[in-house]
Amino acid sequence: MHELGLSRNIVSIVRENAGDKAVTRVKLAIGPLACVETKALEFCWEIVTQDSPLDGAKLGIVEAEADTFLIKEFELRELA
Amino acid sequence: MCGTCGCSDPANEVKMVDPETGQETLLRNGSLLHEEHDHHGHDHHHSHEGDDKPHVHGPNGEIISLEQAVLSKNDQIAERNRGWFEGRGVLALNLVSSPGAGKTTLLERTIKEIGDQRPVYVIEGDQMTSNDAERVRAAGAKAIQINTGAGCHLEADMISDAVNQLNPVSGSIVLIENVGNLVCPSMFDLGEKKKVAVISTTEGEDKPLKYPHMFRASEVVLINKMDIAEVVEFDEAECRRNIAKVNPKAEVISVSAKTGSNIEKWLEVLTIN
Repeated sequence: MHELGLSRNIVSIVRENAGDKAVTRVKLAIGPLACVETKALEFCWEIVTQDSPLDGAKLGIVEAEADTFLIKEFELRELA
Repeated sequence: MCGTCGCSDPANEVKMVDPETGQETLLRNGSLLHEEHDHHGHDHHHSHEGDDKPHVHGPNGEIISLEQAVLSKNDQIAERNRGWFEGRGVLALNLVSSPGAGKTTLLERTIKEIGDQRPVYVIEGDQMTSNDAERVRAAGAKAIQINTGAGCHLEADMISDAVNQLNPVSGSIVLIENVGNLVCPSMFDLGEKKKVAVISTTEGEDKPLKYPHMFRASEVVLINKMDIAEVVEFDEAECRRNIAKVNPKAEVISVSAKTGSNIEKWLEVLTIN
């Protein structure tokens, strides 16, 4: 349900920080009380990243405490 | 064009309707799913199937540490809303429940009973139609309808837009009727002073246990439709015990919005805050 909106937020925050550089990986920290269904988030991820600099970026999720819902870090594509 | 992701689907539109003038404002258009979505054909290929291989762009790509809350943008706007409300002595409450718990009937009753003690404004959230805003307006309050389209909850920026249009006077009450849903709205701060959960006697006493996040986030819980409690064999004590299990501090008030019984207890919440 709201995972679509959440993934949009994630993409928008990463893009603000990465500019137009391609991103290969995004790491999130999600707590058990964050009300985020990781399966649904992963499903939306492909859709919202399509045709953006995050296209094909892997979504990594680490477990965290309580209602944590953070973007930990992201990785830029190595420049050729 | 974008048939795969449906991002140009009108169901993704969020619009605001003023029932008084019929004026519609588009808050988010259907293609906002991809903010700068490039619809022009270009070569790109999906490499999802190679995900288990060592990544070509490898561990040498620069890693940027962010540690930023995903909802930080919503929370910032919510804080701004909260400041706006506090600065004008406006009491903003976020009403949440499952669909059909009686939020709109409660609003109608509230507007009727509070009379001219304190001006009431209403922001109505639903996926479609402005039926609720019209009901509330007919009951005598200024109302704005927000249609979230595919969205399952209201977000802080929608409240900010609605408040701009409603322009509530100092000392008034703004009641926000969230989209009927006991899951998603609990995550999104709108800038309200308190969340008020409405549960009705037809829903079963164990609802607070099934949807603990929402009941934990709500400082006030109204048990509505008490007028038919007996017929539907609703066990009020059991329901109160269940609310206390997930949120021992919640103020629980049993009412009937339809008959108006015990509604004065709810009005107290509105007038002392």
